[in-house]
Amino acid sequence: MRNNKKVVIIDDEAHIRRVIEIKLKKHGYQVMTAKNGKEGLNLIKTQKPDVVISDIMMPEMDGKALCEETNVLKKDQPFLTIIMTCRISADEESWISNMQDTLFMEKPFSPNKLVEYINHYFGGSYD
Amino acid sequence: MNSKKLSALKLPRISIFLFIFLLISIIIIAQILIRQEEKYKLRDLLDRGNYLVSLISLHPLNDFHGDKRDFFLRTFTEYTTYEGLVYFFIHDDGKLPIVSLTPKSMASEIPHDIQMASLNAMGLKKQSFKVSNTKTTVYEFAKPIFEQGKKTGTVRLGLKPPPTSPFSFEWVRLLGMIALFMIAIILFLYYSITVSLRPLKKLNQEFKTTCGSSQAMVSDSADGESIGLTIKTLEHSLMQIKEKLTKIETNNVALASKLGVATFEKNQVVNILDSINFGIVITDIQDKVSLMNKYLLRLLNRKQEDIRDHPLGDILAHDEILAFITELENGQQNNNTRQLETTFPELAPGDIFSVSLIILKDREGRFVGKMISIRKITREKAVEESQREFITHIAHELKTPLTSIKSYSEMLMDGEIDDAEMKKEFYNTINVEADRLTALIQNTLSISRIEMGSLALNRGLVKTDLLAEDSVAAVETAAQKKHIILEKNFPEIFPMLVGDKELLKVAIINFLSNAVKYTPENGEITFSITDQNGLAVFDVIDTGFGISKDDLPHIFDRSFRSLDPKIRDQSGSGLGLAIASEIIHLHGGEIEVESEPGEGTHFLIRLPKEEYYLAEQ
Repeated sequence: MRNNKKVVIIDDEAHIRRVIEIKLKKHGYQVMTAKNGKEGLNLIKTQKPDVVISDIMMPEMDGKALCEETNVLKKDQPFLTIIMTCRISADEESWISNMQDTLFMEKPFSPNKLVEYINHYFGGSYD
Repeated sequence: MNSKKLSALKLPRISIFLFIFLLISIIIIAQILIRQEEKYKLRDLLDRGNYLVSLISLHPLNDFHGDKRDFFLRTFTEYTTYEGLVYFFIHDDGKLPIVSLTPKSMASEIPHDIQMASLNAMGLKKQSFKVSNTKTTVYEFAKPIFEQGKKTGTVRLGLKPPPTSPFSFEWVRLLGMIALFMIAIILFLYYSITVSLRPLKKLNQEFKTTCGSSQAMVSDSADGESIGLTIKTLEHSLMQIKEKLTKIETNNVALASKLGVATFEKNQVVNILDSINFGIVITDIQDKVSLMNKYLLRLLNRKQEDIRDHPLGDILAHDEILAFITELENGQQNNNTRQLETTFPELAPGDIFSVSLIILKDREGRFVGKMISIRKITREKAVEESQREFITHIAHELKTPLTSIKSYSEMLMDGEIDDAEMKKEFYNTINVEADRLTALIQNTLSISRIEMGSLALNRGLVKTDLLAEDSVAAVETAAQKKHIILEKNFPEIFPMLVGDKELLKVAIINFLSNAVKYTPENGEITFSITDQNGLAVFDVIDTGFGISKDDLPHIFDRSFRSLDPKIRDQSGSGLGLAIASEIIHLHGGEIEVESEPGEGTHFLIRLPKEEYYLAEQ
């Protein structure tokens, strides 16, 4: 089950970070967590993850600002970003669709579905 | 018809009048002339008498004897052959007539005293007497004959004035001439009057046209040049004009009062427009400004006198608005409901305005102008924005615990959690998040009740001991988990309140749970209730993180959450304090906050006690 894919989870809700972390670890991903966009951006820059799962509404740096930063990084080091948010309004959908390799999932989410998205990105294996 | 009859009668009446006038004039003139003639004839008679007696008395008495007598009588008769001679006598000094020339009947008619007076006269004597049974007056002239200074005889002469009759040929000729002259004068006058009245007739026609067709009957027969008719028509027309004038005056008064009312109403409308708190500009059919209310004048920094009758484009130099108006006018004239949201960055920075257009039409539906209203909607937009944000926030806050519940339960159901401890942790998380959801829903419901205002309050007597007990119970477990000492300072006699027990409990629990949430482990919270001068005072003092100076003014704002990571680490909706403060204010209470970052916070809540509250009611 173990693979070398690194996942960074960025969410200000500890319970959410915790459940995603457990789920992904069970599927063999290496998981790192951050409480806000700023911490998350540091992790991305240092750890060079394969997947970033991020909330939008967060203190310090929100999901949109984070994506704008990472979109530049993706030119050298492409990775999947999954934006998980409780609210998807039309303007949010539009900025998300403009980002490279970025998907969105609406909260409440299914951990199984999340793993499916990630696996699909890495070659369609639904283990 | 009446006027026609009148004019028909009027014609002979004038003729009769003229005829009578003519007759009387002729008679009067004839009388005057006759008198004048008589006077003249009398004077002539007197002169003639004087002359004759004087001439005859110059002769000696002998000249009237023998042959000389015949010669004298012949000459005298020739000379005096005219109608006026009545009698002639020459008396000698014995007063006997030596010459007598008289009809016999006449001699006896001469009164004796007249005869005697004449015979005794020493100079020229004139006397007159009336012949009996006739109107004839006879004038007697007498003069003595003197020879060598001695009276030798007397000459007596009786003359009567010749008759003056109006029927004599001369008189008839004279009168005829006078009549002709007068007729000529009358004709001339009539012609002159007719000529001079011609403009009047014209005027009459004018009046006819001016006053309407009603007096057509008066006019045409006036061809007979009846001045009476013309005057009648004129009078009639004048009467009509008078009537019309009265009517016009009445109309004028009505119009003036209507104008007064209209002016008053216009002023009222202007006053109303000036008093409303949004901009109005009204343009005429040529797109020129006819009115702009005070609000818009202020906004555009203009004066009423500067804008009137100026093109709208010059006054409202706002491309976006002008384009919007043109678009509505050209494309969808009937769709006036559309509004434009715009700004005036230079004139009103930071404000948002809503512009709408109303096409003004008259009763027949013709375009008469337009009205543009410009309303400041900054506050509405802010409220709308804050409500939108609030709903988004609530949705987010509701979905957050739901997200945990769904994901944790899914993993449990899938049997992915084998470890017993982890299972317990998962179940606990679900439980905690379910509580969080419940509290959130409770808060949301409280908000909706608060927003409905005091009408939604479930008023009743609230015992503060029960309120305190329930509130403490709600937070005690959480406090214990963090080893926070919760000290209670309660009075012996708890004050009573009137209010909504459940809402007050929500408020107090929010203050207490905030204290627990933002006080680090092993901290201390003091909760006290005191009775102060009719107020029930609640103090919640903690030794928590405190509130920064920047955050302090916003802690009661809806959905405000501090950016302080220590605060952010705690789950919270940002609704708690907003709800608590609104509940306290709804109960006529007030809140004071003192806080020092790093040392703690003191919330002081004052609520009026029941007797004060009831007294106020």
